[in-house]
Amino acid sequence: MSIKKIIDEIKSFSIGYYILAVIAAAGLSVGAYRLYAGLGETTNLSKAFPWGIWISFDLSTVAFSGGAFTLAALVYVFHLHELHPAVRPTVLAGLIGYSSVLVILFMDLGRWDRFYHFLIFPNINSALFEVSWCIALYSTILIYELSPVLLQNSRFSGVLPLIEKWTMPLVIAGVTLSTLHQSSLGTLFIVMSARLHPLWYSLFLPVFFLISSLAAGLSMVISGAIVSYWVFKRTLAPKIIAELAWFIPWVLGIYLVLKLGELLITDELHLLFTSGIYSVLFLTELAIGVIIPIILFSFDKVRRSRVGALIGALMVLAGVVLNRFNASWFAIRPVAGEIYKPHWMEVAILIGVAASAVLIYSLVAHYFPVFDETVVVTPAEENGRKSRRLLRPRVSGD
Amino acid sequence: MSENNTNQKEYGFLIDASRCIDCRACLVACSVQNEVSNSTSRIWIKETGVTGQFPDLSRYSAPYHCMHCDDPSCVSACTVGALQKGENGIVTYDIDRCIGCRYCMYACPFGVPNFEWDIQLPLIVKCDMCVSRLGDGESEPACAATCPTDAIMFGEKGSMLAQAHQRIEENPTKYVDHVYGETENGGTATFYVSPVPFEELGFPTGGVVSPAYSNRLVTHGTPAVAGSVAIGLSGIYLTIKRHHHEGEPVAEGVVAEGETAVTNTPDEAAEE
Repeated sequence: MSIKKIIDEIKSFSIGYYILAVIAAAGLSVGAYRLYAGLGETTNLSKAFPWGIWISFDLSTVAFSGGAFTLAALVYVFHLHELHPAVRPTVLAGLIGYSSVLVILFMDLGRWDRFYHFLIFPNINSALFEVSWCIALYSTILIYELSPVLLQNSRFSGVLPLIEKWTMPLVIAGVTLSTLHQSSLGTLFIVMSARLHPLWYSLFLPVFFLISSLAAGLSMVISGAIVSYWVFKRTLAPKIIAELAWFIPWVLGIYLVLKLGELLITDELHLLFTSGIYSVLFLTELAIGVIIPIILFSFDKVRRSRVGALIGALMVLAGVVLNRFNASWFAIRPVAGEIYKPHWMEVAILIGVAASAVLIYSLVAHYFPVFDETVVVTPAEENGRKSRRLLRPRVSGD
Repeated sequence: MSENNTNQKEYGFLIDASRCIDCRACLVACSVQNEVSNSTSRIWIKETGVTGQFPDLSRYSAPYHCMHCDDPSCVSACTVGALQKGENGIVTYDIDRCIGCRYCMYACPFGVPNFEWDIQLPLIVKCDMCVSRLGDGESEPACAATCPTDAIMFGEKGSMLAQAHQRIEENPTKYVDHVYGETENGGTATFYVSPVPFEELGFPTGGVVSPAYSNRLVTHGTPAVAGSVAIGLSGIYLTIKRHHHEGEPVAEGVVAEGETAVTNTPDEAAEE
């Protein structure tokens, strides 16, 4: 490809790509400054709040990216092959999600120059050590799972049968690693009993985090497919979306029973109504992310309606985000009245990384057969929507 | 065990809030000894503020640093094992390992580890009982050596604890009947006696079990969870696959065969 061709190609992109690229470049420049200047000047983190919005973002994004392992388990392990068309878009979103988390974790490390130390200085008691290893290994597996998409139309397509051959063991390894790190993110807080509010603190935190990541993963696949309907003109058959949505009330139902059961066993049920702002946060989280979605997705009509399923899925995602922000920020008890509000640079870096994520997803989806098995939206179906809606920001790609 | 105890004595502190005059000489001595940067500190003063009605005013204070827990939460949390509990009872910090993730700061129920926020490539700042100074043959850390009123005493852990109890017994009206640090967070190597309740001094009132214990309980389950998930998934995969291939089993013999195969699958999976 000559340089002129490349320039022409770039010129052919719609305005959305340029906007995303500018936001991404701005955010990542702030990130570079953060690495140069240290954490004191660029964040509002303190001795009382050594972790902030970055960790909350990481926890939420990992839960969202749970779509990749949930779907892999359903399609490959449970042989629900009719869900297969969703695999490629979800694995791509998962890989980009995990990559964003790795970038933000890198920003978060005081000694980012030593990021590789977790590989050579193990502490098997540390939940964070386990999380680091699992995320690193699992990202590698996601690259492997995505490789057929990248290689399919290339001159290296000869290796595809070999990749195919090893898919099953690697999928099982990937699902196992996901089970481990999704739950270990909950384990992180077990050692923080002195700081985390008892409504959230529980020895079952790893189980809660794992189950809610399943619900978040399913909701990610559903909302991703529906948003793609408008953005990429590709979607999943309504039957597949309805099938995925069918699982959600079951997963959330188990979650709700365990959550309330835990409070009952530890004799903390009264905290539901007596903890002021913490009660409000906890009940909001359960209402938006669990109870209302259970009711919504119990109706076949909602599961089959594009708008209905999207609303339900977005509510689950909002509930999971609130849960992760609560556990890592809002429900961490202040020390001596000191509270934490993120510095604008912390937020700018997050926005930059999110914009890069959406940009990379769109570019890969543009050049590679990501949506190969999905359903093309026909102009008639589209109801006369204009194509300039291309590149609406996606919740799912973050 | 007994050999170990005779060879390696465990160090400890005894800190008496009734003797502290808030002169902060210990803070200066600590920073000089350990070359701690200006914006951080390894040691603070906790104090009650002025209480009572004029002219009967009182104010108590006490120096506050790492408690050197018996089962430290920070050691359990540290991603790279930079924090270690030594046989001499000291919780040490390896500046060459730390990646600055700050998990220890959240893990510590006493809010001890500090961080060099204003430095480009920062590290954790934490008391290590002046371990290098002790190695140089000095008998005490800088804070204890400097304290003009002997509010900070340093020595063998058992003897420090015994002295703490002795002071309370000899002066039951002067001291609150509680040795702070004896049971806090599962026991520590720093013992406080005080004329006022420790909450008034601003000391955290945590549980008597270190969360490091619960943490280990969960993290040590990891290999078992990993193994059962991997084997379970392989078993499910192979079982369903077999059923797909066999189609609908009709004869009873076929079903029985299928069932024995199912029970075998975990082993097969493990072999793979």
